[in-house]
Amino acid sequence: MARKNIQIGLFIPCYIDQFYPQVGVATLELLQKLGLDVRYPMKQTCCGQPLANSGAEKKAIKTYQNFIRNFSEFDYVVSPSGSCVYHVREHYNILEQTEEVKKVRQNTYELCEFLVDILGIDDLKIRFPHKVGIHQSCHGLRGLKLGKSSELVAESYSKVHRLLEKADGIEIIRLDREDECCGFGGTFSIFEPDVSVKMGKMRVHDHETNGAEIITATDMSCLMHLEGIIRREKKALKVMHIAEILNSNSL
Amino acid sequence: MNGKDNKQNTEMGSRQTIIERIRQNKPETKPLPGSFTGNQEPVSKEQLSVCFRESLIKAGAEIAEPDGNEGLEPYKEKHFPEAVDLTDTAVRKKYSSEISKKELEKTGTVIIEGQFGVAENGAIWLDETNFPNRLLPFIAERLIILLNKENIVSNMHGAYRKIDLRNTGFGVFISGPSKTADIEQSLVYGAHGAKRLTIVLFD
Amino acid sequence: MKGHAAKARQFLSDNERADWQDKALWAVRQKRDVAAGSVREWEQLREQASQIKENVLSNLDNYLLQFEQAAIQNGVQVCWAEDDRQFNETILRIIRDHQAQKIVKSKSMLTEECGLNHFLEKEGIEVVDTDLGERIIQFRNEPPSHIVLPAIHLKREEVGELFHEKLHTEKGNSDPTYLTAAARVHLREKFLEADIAITGVNFAVAESGTVVVCTNEGNADMGVHAAPVQIHCMGIEKIIPRTEDLGVFTRLLARSATGQAVTTYTSHYRKPKPGGQMYIVIVDNGRSEHLGLSAHRNSLKCIRCGACMNTCPVYRRSGGYSYGSVIPGPIGSILAPVKQMKDKQDLTFASSLCGSCSNVCPVKVDIHSQLYKWRQEISEKNLFPKAKSYSLSIVGKVLGSNGMYNFSGKAARWALKNMPRRLIYNKLNTWGWGRELPEVPEMSFKEWYKKNGNERKRQ
Repeated sequence: MARKNIQIGLFIPCYIDQFYPQVGVATLELLQKLGLDVRYPMKQTCCGQPLANSGAEKKAIKTYQNFIRNFSEFDYVVSPSGSCVYHVREHYNILEQTEEVKKVRQNTYELCEFLVDILGIDDLKIRFPHKVGIHQSCHGLRGLKLGKSSELVAESYSKVHRLLEKADGIEIIRLDREDECCGFGGTFSIFEPDVSVKMGKMRVHDHETNGAEIITATDMSCLMHLEGIIRREKKALKVMHIAEILNSNSL
Repeated sequence: MNGKDNKQNTEMGSRQTIIERIRQNKPETKPLPGSFTGNQEPVSKEQLSVCFRESLIKAGAEIAEPDGNEGLEPYKEKHFPEAVDLTDTAVRKKYSSEISKKELEKTGTVIIEGQFGVAENGAIWLDETNFPNRLLPFIAERLIILLNKENIVSNMHGAYRKIDLRNTGFGVFISGPSKTADIEQSLVYGAHGAKRLTIVLFD
Repeated sequence: MKGHAAKARQFLSDNERADWQDKALWAVRQKRDVAAGSVREWEQLREQASQIKENVLSNLDNYLLQFEQAAIQNGVQVCWAEDDRQFNETILRIIRDHQAQKIVKSKSMLTEECGLNHFLEKEGIEVVDTDLGERIIQFRNEPPSHIVLPAIHLKREEVGELFHEKLHTEKGNSDPTYLTAAARVHLREKFLEADIAITGVNFAVAESGTVVVCTNEGNADMGVHAAPVQIHCMGIEKIIPRTEDLGVFTRLLARSATGQAVTTYTSHYRKPKPGGQMYIVIVDNGRSEHLGLSAHRNSLKCIRCGACMNTCPVYRRSGGYSYGSVIPGPIGSILAPVKQMKDKQDLTFASSLCGSCSNVCPVKVDIHSQLYKWRQEISEKNLFPKAKSYSLSIVGKVLGSNGMYNFSGKAARWALKNMPRRLIYNKLNTWGWGRELPEVPEMSFKEWYKKNGNERKRQ
């Protein structure tokens, strides 16, 4: 199918919608640049994960249904969040598995995964002359398997690295702990604030000592948490969602 | 009926209760997988030997190898003259299960013949046929295991294919000197068992 | 704040110690990675182990009976215990039958679970834990903080001081080699005078009635072979069907636990020593009920390697005691609610659900999915505190409706923008304890799209 004929529903997670609209804009622009037909259904809210991870899966059903209603007409649903995509694929199993539900669950993709697996792109011809630390968000890494996690014994790969590595001028730094959790964990960050912040501080420290200027990730939620720490501690690091990097100035 | 029998009866009741509860609660039968067929690449004797030695060193054991002309007996005599040599029938008799713990505690060096080694981890299989008293391999300060170079298997799957547990009352894999890292994760040899383990490889 | 979060806060108040603990445990995780990576068929091994355990759980009654029969034929006395009380009574009965006074014990989480030590001590019987780490915490009257590394929370200086007091070692000497040597002498004496040795069990082979115990120190063997009577205590789930299955599990266990290729001693006890007596006590203590929980029986596959603790970013930064249960860490957090769903609900939230635990688990217990499932069950059974339940209901209504979502988002952004900092960063805002809230943008993405979306499309 020609790219222009693929109908894409853009899912912008609630916290990106409310706090990081520029990430939504970057995702939209990037997909449009690639010649895709992208639409943002206006009645979308959230994937329901904040409720479900708190144990209130049943209370999230209305939210799930709203998601399905908004996105069932598209060939693909693309979102700049590995965590939300993972939630739709993994945990919408409690809905009645109608054709609609099955279609949406199967066709919802995280942005990088969509670019690499569906569009077959790994070089976006961009210039990004910075030292970048990649934070491997857990649900993207271990849930969607965007890369090989460090615990598993298997061939190494990373869809995120593949997309970034080709950027002109980029230097991807090596971390001491390549894929440790940042400690956001949704409501975990609220219920266990001390452990959450401690985890985040150590991630920031790892990036900082290894020379990152920018921390990027497939999930803005991790970055919101890390940014919160960076700003509180008045560090020079910046965070950027990967969509913002991939949408940066073309060569 | 005395008290003791009563208690034992309750225990028999417990057995029934536990088994019944398992029967009620267990899931439907899942098949037992066949034998593990992982990496089946052929490994040369040479490779096995190298790997085995590396594993032993990693586990903190020492390796000794009498050269071809020397022969095992003179080697033992030269290097471990004071040792309790369990490959000697007379010595085995003396160290049978009747020997007192106090006597055993004085044991410095013990020589035992091992049955086979495992390349991937340096473990050596011994069972009751190799020692007349179960405590000996553990209570000795230093353990010498004699091992025929030919008797090395690649991994634990191969090892257990060689063992029939139904033929032994007690058997053990030993892969190094006794060790602990319970104090701040620092490795110390000689926690309770042998402080030193030497493997003598012979032809 | 209560439960795990509160205890974690306390643990983290000593920042230096917290960093030290994290580093020590991370080093074990790294060793595990190297050891696992050296086995090319590692992932196949995990799958095999998982399938064997699934089979065992589905046929546990028959395997147990087969095991019992073989053990009896081997001259072993087999006892069964339904719960902790009966288990402790059984051990006491054996002790009394042999008029024993002095007991040595090698590591067994089962005896911790059943509180055996305290029970026997009350009966005037001396029980000496012989694993060095266990002995240390026994001297301190503490439970283990980790199932494989029981004294991982202690620094060498603390052990030095403890041994000075208990074993009269030199004051100020905290050299691990020196302290271990002192413990060796002390425990050697205990081994030689013991009437009965108790061990846990790593694996029990159904076809031959053999129990397998893995140690590095050799303490299980020192105890078992020196004492006239040996007792091996096992949970019903320790069964494996065949000798060959040991090949799978011994390859996985030590590599997962400590990063060793195998433990120093892998001991196979099948018959009593000449002139000695051997008992095996098979313990249920809730496991057969657990087996009935179809959503949670997976955790009965656990072989107690502790890998999930070492890898858990929360465990490493809150310490074993923050969990307040016999088995801490991720696996403990899914085992504890089996019996105490209400009291231990906090543990199911002591996780960021990062999934690292499930990936290191050698028998593929889906730990993080289990945590998620427990959260749902706890919520459905209405076991949450009222306030939490109520606020989740509100969030549910907001996120389920586009109108309410848009309105609430707008209101929240307005508030964050216009309220004074001291009101926003109040005590109840736990996010703000160590972090800034995100800066509030001019408009949401939805608002932006409403304005610019159509225009963009036309370009």
